[in-house]
Amino acid sequence: MEILIAEDDLTSRRILEAVLFKWGYDVISVDNGNDAVDKLLEAKTPKLCLLDWIMPGKDGVDVCSIIRNQDNPVAHYIILLTSKAEKHDITKGLDSGADDYIIKPYDKNELKARINVGSRILKLQNAMAEKEKFKGVLEMSGAICHELNQPLMVISGYSDILLMDCLEDHPQYKTIKEINKQSNRMGSITRKLMRITKYKTKTYLKTNIVDIEEA
Amino acid sequence: MENNKILVVDDDPTILKLYGMTFLREGFEVISALSAEEALELLQDEKIHVMFLDLKLPGMDGIELCAQIKKDMPMTIIHAVTGYASIFELTDCKEAGFDDYFKKPVKIKTLVKAAKDAFEKINRWKTG
Repeated sequence: MEILIAEDDLTSRRILEAVLFKWGYDVISVDNGNDAVDKLLEAKTPKLCLLDWIMPGKDGVDVCSIIRNQDNPVAHYIILLTSKAEKHDITKGLDSGADDYIIKPYDKNELKARINVGSRILKLQNAMAEKEKFKGVLEMSGAICHELNQPLMVISGYSDILLMDCLEDHPQYKTIKEINKQSNRMGSITRKLMRITKYKTKTYLKTNIVDIEEA
Repeated sequence: MENNKILVVDDDPTILKLYGMTFLREGFEVISALSAEEALELLQDEKIHVMFLDLKLPGMDGIELCAQIKKDMPMTIIHAVTGYASIFELTDCKEAGFDDYFKKPVKIKTLVKAAKDAFEKINRWKTG
C-alpha cells in the first residue's frame, strides 16, 4: 500500500520514510502542505497519509479542509502529526477532516498500530466500493440484456426466416446474410453480459470501460 | 385431426408476430397471448400441449404461469424464452417445471426444433 508523508523537517521525514519502508509501505514524501494537496488531489484511489500539522505553505489542517471540501472527495485516510497536545487543537484537527492524530514525539508501536487501523479501513472501503461498482455493472448489464435482446430477437429471427426462403444467388442474399451475422454477433455480446461475474475494466482511448471478455 | 397447437406468450406483439410466422410456416397452429392472465383464459377453452413463455410479463410472470399450467396439465411441455435471467431466476424456472430454457435472441431453427421435439415426445407418450 502507498503512503504519503508530508513533513517539513528533513530528519523526521527521513526517519518516517525508513520506518514505513521497513513496514512494507511504498512511501511518497513531500516537505510542504501545497505539494501534499497536489498529491492527494491527483490520486484517483484513497491513500494513507501522514500530515505534519505545522508546515510551510498550507498547514496540515488546511490540507485536510481542502481535501474534504472537494465536490467528489476521494476518501483518503489522514493522520495528523502534532506536537500540540491540547485537547482544543485535537478537536480542530479532527473537525478539519483528519481521521486520526498522533502526538509527537510518537511511540513507534503506536504509530504502527494507528497506520494499521488506517490501512484496514482503506481496504474495507475499497472492498465496499468494488462491491458497489460490481452491483452497478450487474444492474446495467441486466437492463441492457433485457432491453436489447427483444429487438435483437426480431432482427435475428426475421433474417433467419428470410435466409431460409432466399436462394443463394438472390441479389439480396449477401445483405440479409450480413444482417443475420451481425445480429448474431450482438447476441453473443449480450450473452457475455449475462455471464459477468466480476468487476473488470480495460482501457478504451483515455477512459476505462467494463471488459466483458474478462469480467 | 392431430393437435398441433403452440401457445406463445410475450408482452411484445412484434415477438408474437415472429413466433406466428416461424411456427405457421412449419405447419403448426399458433395461439398467442400478451399476458399470463390472457394465456390462462385461453387455456380454459383450448387444449395446448406445447408452449413458449417469456419470463418477464406484466402482472403474473412467466415462472408463476408455468407453475400454474403444470399443476393442472403436468404433461404440457413448456419452454422459457427470456431476454435476461439471473442464476436465481433459472433455479426458479426449474422449480416451476419448465422443460427447457432459451435466451433471446434464439435462432429460428432452434425454436422449430424445440417445437418438433416436444410434439414427438408427446406423441411417444400417447402411442406408448
